[in-house]
Amino acid sequence: MKIKVIINGEKKVLDIEPHEILLDVLRRYGYYSVRRGCDTGMCGICTVLFDGKPVPSCSVFAARADGHEITTLEGLPEAKEFAELLAEEGADQCGYCSPGLIVNTVYLKKLKIKKMDEAKIKLIGNLCRCTGYEGQHRAIAKFLGVEK
Amino acid sequence: MIKNYFRPSTIDELSELKIKTNGYLFSGGTDLFVKIRAGAINTDTVIDTKYLENEELKIENKKLFIPLNTTYTELRKFIKANQINPIIENIVKTIGSPMIRNRGTPVGNIANASPAGDFVLASYLLNASVILKPSSKKIPVEEFIKGPGKIELEKEEFIYGIELEILDDYKFYFEKVGRRNAMIISIASIGLLIKEDNEKIKDIRIAFGSVAPTILRNKEIEKSLIGEKIDKNLFKYLANEFFNLSSPITDVRASKEYRKQLVYNLTLKAYINLYEKVVI
Ligand SMILES: Cc1cc2nc3c(=O)[nH]c(=O)nc-3n(C[C@H](O)[C@H](O)[C@H](O)COP(=O)(O)OP(=O)(O)OC[C@H]3O[C@@H](n4cnc5c(N)ncnc54)[C@H](O)[C@@H]3O)c2cc1C
Ligand code: FES
Ligand code: FES
Repeated sequence: MKIKVIINGEKKVLDIEPHEILLDVLRRYGYYSVRRGCDTGMCGICTVLFDGKPVPSCSVFAARADGHEITTLEGLPEAKEFAELLAEEGADQCGYCSPGLIVNTVYLKKLKIKKMDEAKIKLIGNLCRCTGYEGQHRAIAKFLGVEK
Repeated sequence: MIKNYFRPSTIDELSELKIKTNGYLFSGGTDLFVKIRAGAINTDTVIDTKYLENEELKIENKKLFIPLNTTYTELRKFIKANQINPIIENIVKTIGSPMIRNRGTPVGNIANASPAGDFVLASYLLNASVILKPSSKKIPVEEFIKGPGKIELEKEEFIYGIELEILDDYKFYFEKVGRRNAMIISIASIGLLIKEDNEKIKDIRIAFGSVAPTILRNKEIEKSLIGEKIDKNLFKYLANEFFNLSSPITDVRASKEYRKQLVYNLTLKAYINLYEKVVI
């Protein structure tokens, strides 16, 4: 079946199978920033924006995306700035979790969140196995302009 | 493997598809797709309810109506804006992560009928009724849920919405115990609502999750406490009663002995938090 979507601002028609999950379709079409972690909605590594809101793409049926807007890391110009902050703070060790975290943090910036406590709560669904989160939190604080 | 995906837009169309295909309904899909991929459910047809033309979230006759397809995120906004049932906010904010709450729905939680379902617990506490279509039947949630994953639904029926009481001037407590402090499936949980009249009980509702095949609530015990003075002894009595009534299982998350002890401890903890001092 065919679905019409807007990915990163571009209109696209994608050819999908009825059983396919959004994560797999996005990767098949070359959006490699979208990665598979737990495949059950728990780790946040596969995060994309669906009509502007963060969702785990491993838990979204591709057919459901018909007529909707998807944004991946590739479509977020602010991503680079935050990625550099992550690197500065030593917060991308294996780096596997970074794309999901970046998508979600850029979303928080759009919401104008400036309190660290609030950011932490909103990022509860983005797990990282390497950093122990401290470095990430420093980078997030800088990026969001958290008031000390 | 899924071969067919349907998107009905009317109640009759949905109902006919359900009869014809035996397919699984989904809204958020946060339960269904996890189960399909884990091999726990095998189906060739899924029916997307999101395109159904359904009513809105609303307050009517002092009841809160939550239709299918309303997400937790939408519900939280509505509860805040209308300043009703603050216990719902306390419960819903512990469900999954913000991302899961952007997709998951209270109706999906009820249909899933897990004894660990946090919204199932909320609906027991607020004397919810489940509204089915096309029959328009209205069934109290504790009759609708028959056991873990078992619900009272005819072949042609689906859940159209749930209706919950709106309560004013109740003290409340909710806690869920899990193996970590975020995104937890409960090992045991407690929800308590209490309305006072001169330090005595005017109405009390107490429910536990994950410690029996369905949510544990006992209306007889609740009724027998009306007019009683609220003190620690009363809660010790309650803790004992529910310790005995609970019938948990041992699973990967915890043993049944630990769960029973939690029922006792959480009951006393609820009292201490509400009437003595806040402890974490
Ligand atoms: C990472 C993660 C964390 C989670 N954390 C929690 C948690 O903390 N607490 C908790 O309680 N749950 C949790 N869940 C489970 C799940 O998110 C919730 O149960 C959610 O409410 C399900 O809603 P849904 O719309 O996604 O359901 P769906 O997956 O769409 O549907 C669930 C079930 O109900 C059936 N169904 C759906 N709609 C209808 C209908 N209208 N009529 C009849 N049957 C229907 C489906 O066939 C399916 O079997 C979590 C899930 C994940 C993936
Ligand atoms: S891969 Fe989607 S949340 Fe983990
Ligand atoms: S840097 Fe390795 S998982 Fe986060």
